[in-house]
Amino acid sequence: MIHRLEVTLQDAEGAMLRVLGTAERRGFRVRALHAVVGADALCRMELTLEGSRDAELLGRQLARLHEVRTATVRVAP
Amino acid sequence: MADTGAIEAGLRSGAQWLVAALEAEDVDTIFGYPGGAIMPVYDALVDSRLRHILVRHEQAAALAADGYARASGRIGVCLATSGPGATNLLTGIANAYLDSVPLLAITGQVASGLMGTDAFQEVDIFGMSLPVVKHSFIVRRAEDVAAVVHEACAIARSGRPGPVLIDLPKDVAQSRAPARPVQHDAIPAPVKPAAAALAAAGMLLARSARPLLYIGGGVGIARAEMALRDFVSCTGMPSVCTLKALGAVNAASPYNLGMLGMHGSPAANHAVQSCDLLIVVGARFDDRATGKLDTFAPGARVIHIDVDAAEIGKLRSVDIGLAGALPWILAELAQPLQIEPWRVHCAALHDLYRSRYDAPGTDIYAPALLRDLSLAAGERAIVSCDVGQHQMWVAQHWQIEAIHAHLTSGGLGAMGYGVPAALGAQLAQPQACVICVTGDGSIMMNIQELATLRRYAIPVKIVLLDNACLGMVRQWQELFFAERYSEVDLSDNPDFVALARAFGLEAFGIERREQVPDAIRRLLETPGPVLCHVRIDPRANVWPLVPPGKSNGEMMDTAA
Ligand SMILES: Cc1ncc(C[n+]2csc(CCOP(=O)(O)OP(=O)(O)O)c2C)c(N)n1
Repeated sequence: MIHRLEVTLQDAEGAMLRVLGTAERRGFRVRALHAVVGADALCRMELTLEGSRDAELLGRQLARLHEVRTATVRVAP
Repeated sequence: MADTGAIEAGLRSGAQWLVAALEAEDVDTIFGYPGGAIMPVYDALVDSRLRHILVRHEQAAALAADGYARASGRIGVCLATSGPGATNLLTGIANAYLDSVPLLAITGQVASGLMGTDAFQEVDIFGMSLPVVKHSFIVRRAEDVAAVVHEACAIARSGRPGPVLIDLPKDVAQSRAPARPVQHDAIPAPVKPAAAALAAAGMLLARSARPLLYIGGGVGIARAEMALRDFVSCTGMPSVCTLKALGAVNAASPYNLGMLGMHGSPAANHAVQSCDLLIVVGARFDDRATGKLDTFAPGARVIHIDVDAAEIGKLRSVDIGLAGALPWILAELAQPLQIEPWRVHCAALHDLYRSRYDAPGTDIYAPALLRDLSLAAGERAIVSCDVGQHQMWVAQHWQIEAIHAHLTSGGLGAMGYGVPAALGAQLAQPQACVICVTGDGSIMMNIQELATLRRYAIPVKIVLLDNACLGMVRQWQELFFAERYSEVDLSDNPDFVALARAFGLEAFGIERREQVPDAIRRLLETPGPVLCHVRIDPRANVWPLVPPGKSNGEMMDTAA
């Protein structure tokens, strides 16, 4: 199954690694990735993930990372 | 070196800021081991009131800090140099992660300019530890050190606690700077479950005929024991505990059915299989607790209460998830219930499956020894276990009075935990009677810490159950690998009594049942650290047992 996640996070050292590592360790493969750090020191990541596990659960696992402000699962188009 | 002029000018080195920030966080004890990259911090320690405990292996520093944290409810702090010092900490960090223990791990790092060049003793500990930390930092400027320490401590302690790593490059530790003001906005307030969900949970509970509490270690971490005991006395609900929750409810109550899961009590497992509502409090459906997950509590609806929303529905879908502070939710849910037939049924299960201690023969029967020792040690006792059969015997037979009186490596199952954790716990609770129950395999994983016990006169009582093999692995090979024994023999063990004496400990051995009462007395009466070597039957197994991959309803028991 393909899932799209939008994650906003504080731009801190290692923050993007944490998001990607969490997604992979929790059973998802990263298929596409777009990330931009804005002038507000917030990073916006869009991830396209493939995996059979519950993406909403992954969203909550990402949300508990210290830098993550929001993690939203979008239904894949 | 302390430069008083600079300190008066408000300038301190990064290392000095680190030490000052730890003191400001009310840390009194840290466990560590020095080396090149962390030397500036060790230099700053000379002028500090922090008590530093020099362990003999960094893994033990992390595990001792873990034991200190569990026994005291305070943050545990460990310190190591870069490279091998940092990698040696990793097992202890992972242990704290899987058991949600507030731990601060501080590592020295090579100087910033050398990072990324494969410099001497450079490893990317920040990267290596990412999967096993709650959070981590590389400090880039001396003026940030104090703020990072405060933020790290707040993160480690808040919500669901966990380990936080601070990697401190040597140049940052050495350069002088004023402190940056500390910000305190980082920690989000705890969530509260929606009123509608709470109301629905209350209705589900009121309608249930056979409700059961499944209590996890989160109750201890949240210091929610009082709230839980109030909930139990208001509702009259029977309960089962995970390994890490043992001690949460009154050990003597007939409605406390004991530990569930692989080596749990049949009473607990049968009750879980036949309940119609499971209220899960601070537990996470670990596979050692649930057995085959899709046959676990097959007839039960589930209310899952946890401070970590990401645990709810992770492994078992729930009817109602309540994320938030456990004491508050338990108080909201409490209501008197009409469940007398179910209570009678559970009390009967409790009675039926009571452990027996009248094993035949003259060999020392470890379960009986542990039972008697725990009763003799009484309420002051804190037991720290290693990993294996002896750990399960402690879980089954030790009279555990409170969650924090039982230190066990639950999530990671790390052999080598017992002695360092006991050492840390004893330093945290000087009045306690700390007893380490270990095996002949496990103790060798951190045997060097006997030197630490000796150096600081830490009066830990060690009970070494020696079955001349890696018992738990041997048991699995016997039962599940057709008795094809592979690399489990330890019959050429060292003379542990002589070994302990060489470290300067008092030590003695026993091998027959009638020696047990005197041994217990001697252990408890010895003022300093002492080791009692107990020879037990190499063929003894832990019963009962749910075979791996099987349902908790299919327990094996051939102990009779
Ligand atoms: C660091 C580590 N290595 C390996 C294991 C796997 N393991 C689990 S129990 C066990 C045997 C433990 O032997 P011992 O300490 O003598 O305890 P016993 O089971 O005999 O009581 C082993 C090897 C482990 N849990 N931890």
